[in-house]
Order: sequence, then structure tokens, then C-alpha cells
Amino acid sequence: MLAYAARRLLIVLVTLLVASVIVFFVLEIVPGDPARLMLGLNATEDAVRALREQMGLNEPVLTRYISWLVGMARGDFGESLTYSVPVTELIADRVVVSLPLALLALGLSTAIAIPVGIFTAARRGTRADTAAMAGTQLGIAIPNFWFALLLVYVFAVTLQWVPAGGFPGWDEGLWPGLRALILPAIALALPQAAILARVARSALLETLAEDYIRTARAKGLPANIVLWRHALRNAMIPVLTILGLQFAFLLAGTIIIENVFFLPGLGQLVFQAINQRDLIVVEGVVVLLVGTVVIVNFLVDLAYAWADPRLRRR
Amino acid sequence: MTAPILTIEKLDLAIGGAPILRSVDMVVEAGKVHALVGESGSGKSMTALTTMQLLPHGANTTGTLRFGDEDLLTASEERMCALRGDDIGMVFQEPMTALNPVKTIGEQVAEGIRWHTGTNRPDAEQRAAIMLKRVGLPTTRFPLDRYPHELSGGQRQRVVIAIACALRPKLLIADEPTTALDVVLQAQILDLLRELVAEDGMGLVLISHDLGVVAGMADDITILRHGVVQEAGHAVDVLRRQTHPYTRQLAEASAHVPQWDGRAKPPEITALLDVQNLVKDYPGPRTGLFSRGAPFRAVDDVSFSVPPGRSVGLVGQSGCGKSTLARIVLALDKPTSGIVSFDGMETSRLDDHDPTMALARREMQVVFQDPYGSFNPRQTVERLVAEPLHLEEAPLSKSERRERIAFALDEVGMPADAMRRYPHEFSGGQRQRLAIARAIITRPKLVVCDEPVSALDVSIRAQILDLFAKLNDELGLAYLFITHDLTVARAITHEVMVMDHGRIVERGATADVLDNPQTEAAQRLVAAAPDLNRAIERRAKDTSGISSPFEARKHPSS
Amino acid sequence: MTDHLVAAEHEDWRLFLRKASANRSFQAGAIITLFIVIMAAVSLVWTPYDVSKLTIPDRLQGPSWAHWFGTDHFGRDIFSMIMEGSRNSIAVALIAVGIGIVIGVPIGCWAAAKRGWIDEVFMRTSDIIFAFPALLSAVMITAIFGPGAVNAIVAIGIFNIPVFARVARGAALSLWPREFILAARAAGKGPARITAEHILPNIANLLLVQGTIQFSLGILAEAGLSYVGLGAQPPATSWGRMLAEAQTMMAIAPQMAIAPGIAIIVTVLGLNLLGDGLRDLLDPKLRRER
Repeated sequence: MLAYAARRLLIVLVTLLVASVIVFFVLEIVPGDPARLMLGLNATEDAVRALREQMGLNEPVLTRYISWLVGMARGDFGESLTYSVPVTELIADRVVVSLPLALLALGLSTAIAIPVGIFTAARRGTRADTAAMAGTQLGIAIPNFWFALLLVYVFAVTLQWVPAGGFPGWDEGLWPGLRALILPAIALALPQAAILARVARSALLETLAEDYIRTARAKGLPANIVLWRHALRNAMIPVLTILGLQFAFLLAGTIIIENVFFLPGLGQLVFQAINQRDLIVVEGVVVLLVGTVVIVNFLVDLAYAWADPRLRRR
Repeated sequence: MTAPILTIEKLDLAIGGAPILRSVDMVVEAGKVHALVGESGSGKSMTALTTMQLLPHGANTTGTLRFGDEDLLTASEERMCALRGDDIGMVFQEPMTALNPVKTIGEQVAEGIRWHTGTNRPDAEQRAAIMLKRVGLPTTRFPLDRYPHELSGGQRQRVVIAIACALRPKLLIADEPTTALDVVLQAQILDLLRELVAEDGMGLVLISHDLGVVAGMADDITILRHGVVQEAGHAVDVLRRQTHPYTRQLAEASAHVPQWDGRAKPPEITALLDVQNLVKDYPGPRTGLFSRGAPFRAVDDVSFSVPPGRSVGLVGQSGCGKSTLARIVLALDKPTSGIVSFDGMETSRLDDHDPTMALARREMQVVFQDPYGSFNPRQTVERLVAEPLHLEEAPLSKSERRERIAFALDEVGMPADAMRRYPHEFSGGQRQRLAIARAIITRPKLVVCDEPVSALDVSIRAQILDLFAKLNDELGLAYLFITHDLTVARAITHEVMVMDHGRIVERGATADVLDNPQTEAAQRLVAAAPDLNRAIERRAKDTSGISSPFEARKHPSS
Repeated sequence: MTDHLVAAEHEDWRLFLRKASANRSFQAGAIITLFIVIMAAVSLVWTPYDVSKLTIPDRLQGPSWAHWFGTDHFGRDIFSMIMEGSRNSIAVALIAVGIGIVIGVPIGCWAAAKRGWIDEVFMRTSDIIFAFPALLSAVMITAIFGPGAVNAIVAIGIFNIPVFARVARGAALSLWPREFILAARAAGKGPARITAEHILPNIANLLLVQGTIQFSLGILAEAGLSYVGLGAQPPATSWGRMLAEAQTMMAIAPQMAIAPGIAIIVTVLGLNLLGDGLRDLLDPKLRRER
């Protein structure tokens, strides 16, 4: 088990390293001269030269990459051009919005999808199953930001139950903050829940066709007990896989949804940075998100080993 | 005469409107072994699932199926749950998939005990440990927290038997319990079942296609064909008299020896295939971050030769390395060390692009076990039989190709118009003929046969063995014939090699080795091999005056 | 059980059509998809109104006979814009799927045929690409090259490559140990030839089904990217951009958001139904589960 985890961790580190090379390459090498790109066409030569100096662009590429990497390892993502504050600070301010939103959406989607998956697998072929599956088919097709617009219109504009957007900050207490995140979380969660429910159902049905299910039935266990005790854990593997992938989509989705609700999260930060050509901020946010996705997938790998003893040996 | 545990009368079963069983009658008595015999599609497994009431959706049954005094056909699901695993146990064919991979063997055996008796976990686990010891898995060597993947196929089947027998059921149904195991493991599992029946006095329904197994085990027998009972009665009587034509047909097919002119042919001195000091290692399992366990030696210093036109058998238990050896001979795998030369070409040193290799491949073809997996389902018979023809030096014209294909099909007894059809349109036996047609189309000198008849029903098997004999006579083909079935080895080989733990431990003329095995490994194989006639002879002696074989044979061969 | 990749039945066209006539999901999906494609094709030569012309007096009308879905804040006919937008959605998603198939499938087949370190490198690379959701790639590309429809295509296409490669690899890996492949190897055929003759025909169904899934995901992704301004740029019309514009008008003209949303949903739904239907028709093992 330990060897398995260590091997996975090694892969994670290599993945992170390669991902950092990609980000560095795309954002610092491809543009040719990032300083000129950031300052725009009308910049004076002096200004460009000064920025090059400030960004350390005159150093050799390898030195730049290593000092960038070392800086990140210490939590230093550089300094934003437009705000003149450390990127770390900017990100920290925004993460407290985006991360709770993504986690809330993930929790919500799992909490809806797993019971629906189990219910429909147990009652496959019934009307309830058919109706639920039609519902998920629709859920998958709905773009989350459109669903968000709809929610805003119904619950914020028309009913005025919740604010239409904006974020009061966590200083006001837990509830006002959560209130502002409820609609965005629902908008993010429902389409993902539809996918997850379908995966859970089909994984369960596949497991229920296995030989060992018949063995368990031959022991005298009723069908529903067999489902809980024998099928569920075996069906977890594909569900976990999708859950890991979904986290990446949820994070990306967060960026879009924040736009709908005017939430001051990473999404807003990154779009402002794009408009202002603040590459250093873009770089910081991308690295952070990629890192999170990789680490979440590492956790999913560990969960695999928990779910399936056969993997622990590898 | 004891009271019947299970009485089946006029049982009809249809699934989705298709009739599976027609008016089946059968009576199983306590302490007896009742064999249910038939070829594939006879409905024997469905009879078992009907008894367990675990039939697939869309099944419709009529008739009576009494367990004791209860009619199970009308019993509630709740009542069936109370019976299953407590009074009726079941053992399945495929031990590799019959256990839940994420639960320990202790949990899986204890689960049924806890469910039915309501006892607490420690008690149930203690009873599970006792039961596992009874089936030959003492906790000292097989702790309860082992997972199924840590056990071999034979050991897993013991766990499945422990689950089924944990609560001393009155009736045990074993559906082809040894078909997926090699003969030595088969004999061990059959002994175990025999002991359990003798000790617990339960009735055992033994479902099998193998008359040799049945003859050694059963008190009573029911022979099914296409869902209809052909013959039923006392097992030894039925199998000895063979009055019913179908019974006779099955018995003859299972001991079939082809008419084979080449059987007596003296061997040539030259070697067609020559293997010297062959070794194949596989990397060991990962043990740490960068470390691996010791490599596994699948083939260990093997040397042998096959003369032209000679049929050489390779027998051994599963996992002994015989299939690995076959793959290396066929140059599908590279050996770790050693030399394979074929017709003077050193194939173990050639790579796939070498023109000499094409020549070697043309002269050396293969027939595999699975008649369903041997063909690309999207190709017509024409294309798939013609597959090796691209090895010919000169490209063939379309009509030449057709001619060659038609000729090969004719040689294996298939009509030329099979060409336009797809493999799924043929039965298992016909597919195996097509596989042989593909193997002989380039006029090879050697055909490697990897268990080519083990997936076939006995009557089909007999026909395919005849075909192998005929092709040896007519084309002078040499065979390297891999099988775990000594009856097959006896039927179609001149010589036999016994393989054990990667080594060839014994070699000689087939009759010599099989009648008078010298090494321990060969003796184990021969002793375990079920043999219809020997079993009937032995049982006929035993049964004079005694009703059950168990009392007569205190310690069955093991 | 062993035959889950290789359809036991051969797909005779007549047989396929007979089975298709009983498959509701396939029929509905095919009809919707066909409808959208026709709509996009027609928009090339004709739309009810010219969407590049602004007629302010007609702005923000509700649905009527003249304007089926109403008009937007510039007085443009929303139905005409939906027709125009379908072209963009289909083009982006289709090209992105094409990139995924053309690059991904050969890589996946190659990794499966070679195994060993090549396979390992491939798997790790695809792990890395999976860590960059299409949106992140689009963000990076836009930061450098500025916004544009091509960004969306490249970003979604890059993400599709490992998707198709993994599907191809997984399916090919399960075929390689099969006896008919061994027989082909014993007949002296090399990896490339075996892949072409035996592997690809047997995984084509799977790739087709995955193709429809990625197509529908591509439509959703393109809409999202256009919505946040990383995709199609004015004056091009796209469903995502229409929604972005609708958002500013939400309080006074919610109907502006309805039509593009429905268009996206119907298209994605149609493709998903088509995919499900195809999977059922082509894959005997999956059919059993439904």
C-alpha cells in the first residue's frame, strides 16, 4: 500500500513538473517578448526594457524557469503588473470564494447523484428509473451557465429570495457567504450530478451482472442487501474516476459561473488579467488550478486502492 | 432407501418464450450424489438455477419442484432467501469470478453464517475458520483476512465450497465445479465434495459434462439433452449398460480414439523442431518503489525435438508453462535464453521482418482453444482462412486464392460456400474446423495446437480428433499438441512430454508414459485423470452389496 | 462476456436498419441531429433576416409570426441568429472531434501495440493533458494570441486527443491478447498491419460512439468559451455569445436567454441520444444493461 502511494506520489510530482514546463513555455517562451506583449504596442522602448529587467527576462531561459519554480515552491508567484501586489495575495483573496464554491458543488452533485444512481439501478426498468434517466439525459445537455442565468431570473430577479450576485465576504459570517454561493453551486452541481448518476447506475448494473453477485444471492442474501454489501463498493471505481475528472470540470466551471453571479473569484481575476495582459497573474492562476487537479487525481488514486485491494499490491 | 430431498416433476422452463426444459423429472436423495449430465445447451445449469430460484428475468416455470415438503416454484422470495445458503448451497463453475474481489475470504464465508443464524461477528468468523479448515484452507496458512486474488483457482473454489457448506445444507448443487480446473485440482475438489457429502449426509447434485468424472462420483444419474431427460437411473448401471443410444453415444465419444494410420509409423531421426535449453523469465511483482520481486521462471531449461510427421503431446497442470512454451515455439514471444530452431532456421534469433521468418511461419501454424475468440468477427471466412497466404513468396491471383481456400475448406470437411459467411454463423466445432483450415492453407510442416478440443462438447471433440488424425495421415503434419486431458493425448499423440513447474520431467511413447508414469508429476496427472471405463470397473466391484461409494472408499485417491 | 468489444453479430446494413427501427433513442437522436445540421447548412445561403443589420426600432420584441423567437436589443431576429450560431457550434465541435480522432486514435493504437515504456510515456502525457481542462488551455491561448474562434477549436481539440487515444488504447489493449490477434501474429503480420486489419475495424464502433459524446461535449464547451469571451468574436454569431448578451438584458428581456439555451440543449440532447442509440445498436454487451 505504501509502495503504491509512493509510486503514485512520484508520478504526481513528475506530472506537476511537466505541467509547469508547459505553462512556462506557453506563457513565457511562445510570446517571444512577454514584456512587450504585456505593455501593448504603444509602449516605449524604455518601458519595455524596464519591465524586462523587472521580470528578469534578460536571464537565460533555464535560470528563469528554475527561479520561477523555486519561487512557486516558496509560495511566491511573482508580482502582478496591473495591481503591483504579489500574485499570491491576489489569488489568496479569490480562492476563498472559488474553492468553497467548487467543493460545495462537488458535495451537492455527489449527494444527489449517488442515491439516484443506486435507486435507479435497484429499480431498473421501472417507470421511476425511466423517468430519472430521462431527467439525467436532459441534465447533461443543459449548459451550467445557462442554468445559472435561469436560476438568477427565477430566484433572484423574480422571487428575490437570494441576491442576484456579488459576494459579501466571509467576514460577515458563514451564512451570508453561503447564501451567495447557493445558486452558483446548484447551477454547477446539477449537470455534473446528471452525469455522475448515469455512471453510478451503469457501474452498479454492470457489477450486479458479476458472478460473485450470484454467489452472494446463493448465500441467501436478498437482492437489495446484495446491492449494498457486494455491488456498491465494486461499482465505486468508475464512480471515483468520474468524480476525479469532474473536479477538474467543476473548477473550470467555477470560472464561468463566477461570471454569471459577479463573484470575486479566480474566474474574475483571470479574465481581468487577460484583458489587461497581466501574464504573471494568468500564469499563477493556471498553475494553481492545474496543481489542484493533479493533486485531486492523486487522492482519487489513493481512493482506488481503498476500494480495491487488488490495487494495493501494485 | 432414504427420503428424497429434492423432487422435480414435470418441470417445464421457458425463458423469453424459448423452451429450455421440457417435462424434466429428477429425485435427489439425502447422502447421495446425483449427477446431471448433458452437453452444452442441454439445460442442466438452468435446472440448478430453477432449484435456487435464481433464474434470469423472463423465465417461466411450470410443474413441481419440491424441497422436502415445500414446493419451491411457489415459494416466496423471502422463503427462498431463508433456504438459500442455509438448506441449499450452490457451487459455481468459474472460481476466478465467483468471489467478491474486495472482501476477505473470512468475511465472505462468515457473511452467510451471520445472515442465517444472527450470530455475532467473532462467532461467525470462528465458524468460518472451522469451515475453511474443513475444505483444506486452515487459518494457519490461509488467514481469514486474505483476499480472493491472493489465492489460486483451486483454493478459491474451496472457499466457494466453504460458503456453500458453511451451514451444513441438506442439498448442495455443484454446477461444473471442476471444469475450470486442471485434472489434479479437479480430483482434489471432487474428493473434498465426496468427503463433505459423506460427513454431512447432504444430497449433492453434480452437474457435469464429463462422464469420467460422473462415473467416479455419482450414485444416480440423469442425462439431459435439449432440455429433455434421455435416461435416468443408478449411475453405474446406466453407464455400464449404455442401453440408451444417447448415453452410448456420449460414452463412446468421451473415450473416442480416431482411426489413425500414422499411429504405428516409426519416427524419423531428423528433427523438424528443435528446442535447446529454453528459458523464459517473467519480471516479478513490484515490491517497492523501484524494486521487484524475483523473476518468475515460466520455462526452465527445456530441450526437446519434434521429428517430421510426428505428433508430440505436451501435458501438465495449469500454470506449468506449456502455453508459454508454445508461444515461444511459435515465435510470438522471445525466450530469455536458449535456442528454437525450426527446419534448420533459428527462429529464436530472427526478428519479424526477416524474410527467413516468413518462410518459417509459413511452415509452422497454430490452432487455439477458443473457437469463438479465434476469428475476427468482422471478416468473412474467406479472408480469415486466407490470413497466412500473404506469407507466400509469389502473390496469388484472386482465383488462385479462392482455389486454395476452397481446397483447405474441403480438407477440413467444410463446403466451399462457407467462404462468403461470417464466423458467428458457425457452431463451435465448425469454427474449430475453420481454424484448422487456416492453419493448413500454407501446407505447413508443423501445427502447434493449444488445447484445441477442450472447449468442445464430447461428440464434437471426437470429430475434431478424427480430423487431426486424418490430416496427419494425408499431409504428414507434425503436431505439438498441448492438452491437459490425457484421454486426448492418448488419442492423437505418438509421444508425450510431461511438464511440471517449467521443466519437462518425463518424455516417452504416449502409451508408456500414461500407463506407467515414472516421475511424481506424471503419476499425479495420471492418477487424477478421470477415465470412464476404469471408473465403471472400479465402481462395479465396489457397489456389489454396498449402496454408496463413500463407505467403501475411506480414503479416496489424493 | 468476453465479446464486449467485438460484436458477435456482423453489421449487415439491413440488420442494422431493422434494429434501428426499434431503437427510439437512435431515431430521436438522428432526427434532431439531422435537423440541426440542415439548419446550419441552410443558414449558409438563407436566413429569415439579415443578422448583420441592426434595426433598433424592432428591438426586444417578444415571439411573433414575424419573429418566431423575438428580437434582441439591436432588433435582430433571434431565430436567424440561432441558425447562424449553429454553424459556429457545429464547426468548432466537429473540427475539435476531428483533431481528437486524427491525432488521438493512432497514438492510442500505437501505445497499445508497443506497450512498455512507450505506453507508460503516453499514459503519463495524457494525465498531464487531462490536468488542463479546455477552459484553462483557452485562457492561456487567449492570454497570448488574443480571443478568437480558433482558440476554442485548439483548446477543445487538445483535450480531445487524450480522450480518443485512451479509448482506442483501452479497446486495443483488450483485443491484443485475443486469439485471433495471436493467430494473425503467427501468420506473420506486423503490428501496423494487424492494427489496420483487425484492431481498427473492431474498435470503430466504440470510436463512433465516443465521437458523438465528444461532439456534444464540444458544443457545450464552445458555448461556455464563447460566453466568457474566449471563443467566437463579433461579428460572428454564436449561441454562447448570444447568452452573454442576454445576461445584461436579463431583467428586462429574459426571452433573449431562452432561445439560445434551448438550441444548445436540443443539440446536445440529440447528439447524446444518437450516441446512446448507436452504442445500443452496435454493442451487444452494453445493450444488455439497459
